[in-house]
Amino acid sequence: MTKIFCYECRRLVWNKFFFGLLLVLLFYGWQVLTGVTLLGVSHTAPFSPWSFGDYLSRMVPLLWIGALFFLTFFTSGKARRAAVLTDAAPMPPRRYAMARCAAALAGTALLALACLAEAAVFYGRYFGWYGWGELLLPAVVALVPPLVFALGSGALLGRLRPWLVYVWMIAPLVLLALPLPEALSLWNGSFFTRYPLTLGTLDPAFVLSAAVAAAQCALLAAGLALLAFAPGRRG
Amino acid sequence: MGTLRLFPLELRRLLRSRLTWLVLLLTVLSPAAGLALYTPTDATTMLSMYLANPALAGGVIGGILFGLLTVFELDRAVRSRVDMLIDAAVSPLTAALVRLLSLLTAAVLTLGLTMLVWYPVSRRLIGTVFEGGDYVLSYLLLMGLALPMAILAAASAYQITRRSDLSLVLFAAFAALSLTVWADDWQLCWLNPCVWALSDDFTNFRLFRTVAYMRLGWLAALSGVWTVSYLCVRRYGKGLPGSLARNVRRVYRPAIALLLLASSVTAYAAQPFYDNSNMDLSAMELYELSYAEGVTYLDRTIQVAPDTDAGTVSGRAIYRFRNTSGQSWTAYFGLNPGYDLAAAVNGTSVSAVPTGYEESNMALWAVAVPAGEEAELVLEYGGFPKDWNIASSTIQGKPEISGTYLCLENQNLAPYLLNVLPGEEGYPATVEITLPAHMVVIPFGSSEAEVIAEHADGTKTWRYTHNRTGGILYAGDYVREDVEAGGMTIEFYYGRKHQTVMEAAGAVEAVKAVVDYCTEHYGKLSFGAGDTLKLVQSRVSGGGYAAEGASLLDEADFTAANLSDTSKGAGAGEVMIHELVHQWWGLGNMFDAPEEDSPWSSEGLTVYTSYRIAKELYGEDYAQANYVDQWRQEVDDYYLNFYVRHPEVLERLPEEEQLAIANSLLYVRQYSEMPLKILKAEELVGGEAAMDEILCALFNREIDPAYPYLTYQDFLEACHLTEEDLNLD
Repeated sequence: MTKIFCYECRRLVWNKFFFGLLLVLLFYGWQVLTGVTLLGVSHTAPFSPWSFGDYLSRMVPLLWIGALFFLTFFTSGKARRAAVLTDAAPMPPRRYAMARCAAALAGTALLALACLAEAAVFYGRYFGWYGWGELLLPAVVALVPPLVFALGSGALLGRLRPWLVYVWMIAPLVLLALPLPEALSLWNGSFFTRYPLTLGTLDPAFVLSAAVAAAQCALLAAGLALLAFAPGRRG
Repeated sequence: MGTLRLFPLELRRLLRSRLTWLVLLLTVLSPAAGLALYTPTDATTMLSMYLANPALAGGVIGGILFGLLTVFELDRAVRSRVDMLIDAAVSPLTAALVRLLSLLTAAVLTLGLTMLVWYPVSRRLIGTVFEGGDYVLSYLLLMGLALPMAILAAASAYQITRRSDLSLVLFAAFAALSLTVWADDWQLCWLNPCVWALSDDFTNFRLFRTVAYMRLGWLAALSGVWTVSYLCVRRYGKGLPGSLARNVRRVYRPAIALLLLASSVTAYAAQPFYDNSNMDLSAMELYELSYAEGVTYLDRTIQVAPDTDAGTVSGRAIYRFRNTSGQSWTAYFGLNPGYDLAAAVNGTSVSAVPTGYEESNMALWAVAVPAGEEAELVLEYGGFPKDWNIASSTIQGKPEISGTYLCLENQNLAPYLLNVLPGEEGYPATVEITLPAHMVVIPFGSSEAEVIAEHADGTKTWRYTHNRTGGILYAGDYVREDVEAGGMTIEFYYGRKHQTVMEAAGAVEAVKAVVDYCTEHYGKLSFGAGDTLKLVQSRVSGGGYAAEGASLLDEADFTAANLSDTSKGAGAGEVMIHELVHQWWGLGNMFDAPEEDSPWSSEGLTVYTSYRIAKELYGEDYAQANYVDQWRQEVDDYYLNFYVRHPEVLERLPEEEQLAIANSLLYVRQYSEMPLKILKAEELVGGEAAMDEILCALFNREIDPAYPYLTYQDFLEACHLTEEDLNLD
């Protein structure tokens, strides 16, 4: 299992797609940090959890697309043709698929870490600011549920029809254009710009409303359930 | 030969694909998104709403669709696992070229079809101000060129990576950058050009030139990148390095790529549209130059001849000085940074040197003038005027020079003298301008221009005189209407194409209402040159200004779209109101240069009076929502802004970032905080009538010639209030 996981990780990460995507992400991220985050959101500091969350929300669509592209490594026509061989290996297909999903998750986590590291460099260089502890919660809330859900839902869609994964890539872009209710406002990033204004204090600490927390938990739970369910079907 | 033979076959194959037709159909329909969903322009002119927005939406959506189609088509052979067969039959390089040409042809067909379909729709929506030239240029530049650029970008990504997934990510990020963080940078937003407004009544050539320049620069860059990617096309089963080594053997290929890339970089760096003015908007270095000792100004004559086809200006300015110092000296001039300058004193050439410093859209030139009691300095100048760099993301296209409109302000009209004191007669100047015969010349001020010569080439020379250091001149296809109001005659100039709208909007009545209001409440204006005031309609510019004897009216004040907005009565006229009120607050009463830490300036009383007029004309609810509530919001935002609360953090940022942030906050105190303070004073002194009495007394007070300015202290004393009384909650 570990050997397969390591092998799949190396297959995902040690190729030009990963490095190309990483470069694109870092370039885009720097443009966002210096063009948008620098100004701060909702009267808060550029290094506040709210401004940082806004930065991450702007990065989520690219991370989402990257995560789904990782899945296409396993759902593409080529991979399906190779599945005849891998299925013959002495390993339950479900465990094999789980290892692949874990590898995709690891690849996505690496990309997300790169975004976080870039923000750390930006904050250090521009503001000499290193108080990372308070940014942990917004990072977890903004990144983990949507990316886990992207992998879970993508894995399921890829099993149904490989091309659905490509269609699913535009989902966060569609969400950006939709006027979502407050509970779902983290899905298009508007939560980080609107919610602090409703708290009635200057530089409010990072808090989640119950509705938003529930929506993110539901998204994470759905993602985990799909991750557990999707790879098992074929087996 | 192979390319020519294969091109029709590939094009036919492409046009047989259902996906191609789907992309084509969606692109043809995409301008509809610009009518409601994607409306990047700010102004409410008809051409902005019903031509620029649809064309921009078509460019964005069509560009993205053609980018996706390109990746899909280039990946077709690999996806179907027939690439080995195809490579054996046709050179991969030829195939790449043929595919690109086919996709570009499909884009051209799509654009033609879109223009055919949307022509009648645009014509009906835009109404009387529709013009075929604007339509064709908008669709070609704002939409059409986005398609080949997207094709080149996507094809380059695919040919370099040879992976559809990575190509899609690269293309998505490239498009996303243009739509988000590059959206306000006119040179970088390759997919969605910066277009804030199109003029209904006058021409838009300057804006179109700017967009065309950006598009062509990017086309060169993307063609260069595509040529590089062409060198990466895989051959003989080799990888990228092997194929590249093989493909560069024909030297002309990398040479073309280098040439294209170098030309695009040069075009980027040497762009002729925006200057490099000091980004610190509070900088006043040009106005703080020491005056030349012993030198006085006598007079100047300016002869200027704009080229209305090329959008350029050329002119000759003759300055006369008296020098009693007996020494040589340096004359400093501010000139539009796009112009060049040559100088001669008493018939002998002297050096005119650009110092390299630019501020407020003026380049500083130094001219060495030899000793001698009388000096006649002849300055030959001209070029393509550059716009102020702060306008590049907000109000593009201002220095329009065409056969139907031009506006030459100060340093754009002639070299602006910066360091010589006036003689006894002030700064007398004679201006002669030669323009096409149908253009009316309107000096912005109390001067009147007259025709002194008519030429065989269909041009006329106009002449007028004035007594100022600078000078502003408008010219165009104008209609003049004289309006009697407030005991004076208002010469109301507006574009001929706008006549129907002006009449329907009751613009004359609105002007009369504003002038009568101010005259009744504060007193009558008086001008040295008689009781006339010019009100000139400018091309859509997002604001205006006033000078003694003249005020500006923005084209967007009275548009056909505003006619249907019943909340504002017949028309809005907000800029017109503001600039007319400046005749009372700002010109009738002078204000000293605003201090950096004080909100007091002519804008406070002007904005407050505009609010009172809007309240009278459009009702209390309208005035509350569009003035008072907005002031409160802006002032709240200002004081809550993180950098206002923590200036020490701002100081730690790089200088460029500091200036950008400081500039974005500059005007809130003058335009929003001060009117709120005056509104509070109004409550404290007992209401509107009491405030009107106070303002009337201030307007008609006895002026101290040594310090003729109306100060904040004067205002507070007249209200019997202190600064603390007007602190906002």
